[in-house]
Amino acid sequence: MTGARKLQGDRLTEAEAIERAKQGDAEAFETLYRLHKRRVYSLCLRMTSNTAAAEDLTQEAFLQLFRKIGTFRGESAFSTWLHRMSVNVVLMQLRKKGLAVVPLEETIETEEDSPRKEPGADDVRLSGSIDRLRLEKAIENLPPGYRAVFLLHDVQGYEHNEIAAMVGCSIGNSKSQLHKARMKLRELLKTSRAEKAIKR
Amino acid sequence: MTCDEFQRVLPELEGSRNLEQQQHVRSCPTCAELLADLTAIVDQARLLGDVHEPSPEVWNSIQTALRNEGLIRQPLPQLVQRPLPSHSNFSSAPRWRFAWLVPLAAAALFGSVLLTVHRRVTPVADRPVAHPVVAALGPENQNTGADDVQLLNIVSAQAPALRASYESDLKAVDAYIRDAEFSAHKDPNDEIAQQYLMNAYEQRAMIYEMAMERSVP
Repeated sequence: MTGARKLQGDRLTEAEAIERAKQGDAEAFETLYRLHKRRVYSLCLRMTSNTAAAEDLTQEAFLQLFRKIGTFRGESAFSTWLHRMSVNVVLMQLRKKGLAVVPLEETIETEEDSPRKEPGADDVRLSGSIDRLRLEKAIENLPPGYRAVFLLHDVQGYEHNEIAAMVGCSIGNSKSQLHKARMKLRELLKTSRAEKAIKR
Repeated sequence: MTCDEFQRVLPELEGSRNLEQQQHVRSCPTCAELLADLTAIVDQARLLGDVHEPSPEVWNSIQTALRNEGLIRQPLPQLVQRPLPSHSNFSSAPRWRFAWLVPLAAAALFGSVLLTVHRRVTPVADRPVAHPVVAALGPENQNTGADDVQLLNIVSAQAPALRASYESDLKAVDAYIRDAEFSAHKDPNDEIAQQYLMNAYEQRAMIYEMAMERSVP
């Protein structure tokens, strides 16, 4: 994604909007907001599973961005800068609530949180039966630490070294948490599918 | 390679597998199914996309905060952008003669706004006593009118050609204030309406300030 992304007609490009926002132009701020609001909000909503909290965090992320926009020099993509800021805002909020984003010690996890380590007995594959809504629902039910790493890696596309830096853990821990998140999701999705089959 | 060994290294694989691991997947239905399931989850996760939309209130709140922090520097409507006439005698007018009017006007306007808004949202029994300065100024409309007349007289004395445009500007911003007051009165809990009202009064104060700045040599 480059800074020269054109919107439509004679409206501002992202690069133009950034420069004008630095001058305090209201329309420029709004342009930048509309360009990126869905990604920021979707991240916040999935991380918190709470609409009100997600909106507060979205607002805070954009305010922090706009306050600092004068310092943006274009070395990285604007969207990258914004999304990192959004992630930091969310992680800070989770920490304030006392939620360990990623456990430093793997043994801290409870039995309920940890996925079963032994191979599952089910012999029906999930592929072809996962839809977006079921996956979103399953993500909501992940423990916060698993959810954060899964969203950052598999949904948002961050690499483990980036995730490790953001959440303050080792790369190995990030990989381990991601694997456990996926295993837990697998368990949740299979359970959900089984419950649905019983109801029929 | 056993299932345990394979699943132990699974977190590190990230899609790439050596020969031994590939052979195990081919020969073990359980691990093959596990791998297929995890792959399906990752594939679907990548498709989740950014589909959620925040409510309009989020932008409204951001905009309000930006204005409060002075980060939005919206240019005034054209009604206050007037070039200084070349024949103007403004440069000879000592600034101190008119400087007193700006803070008085701003204080009166903001005090009046706060008083007006406060009156409209507070039951009579709960209203505090008005600040002596604000109370002494009298009803806000009369006070505003008197200030305007004084300002326009000052403008006329220095640049008669500009009086009409300042008069027009003040009428326009007064209309804005009336609209904003109507909205704020209709719903005292509407923070956006309250903010518009404050913005309207700020514009009024800025007209006064513009007039004063034109008197600076």
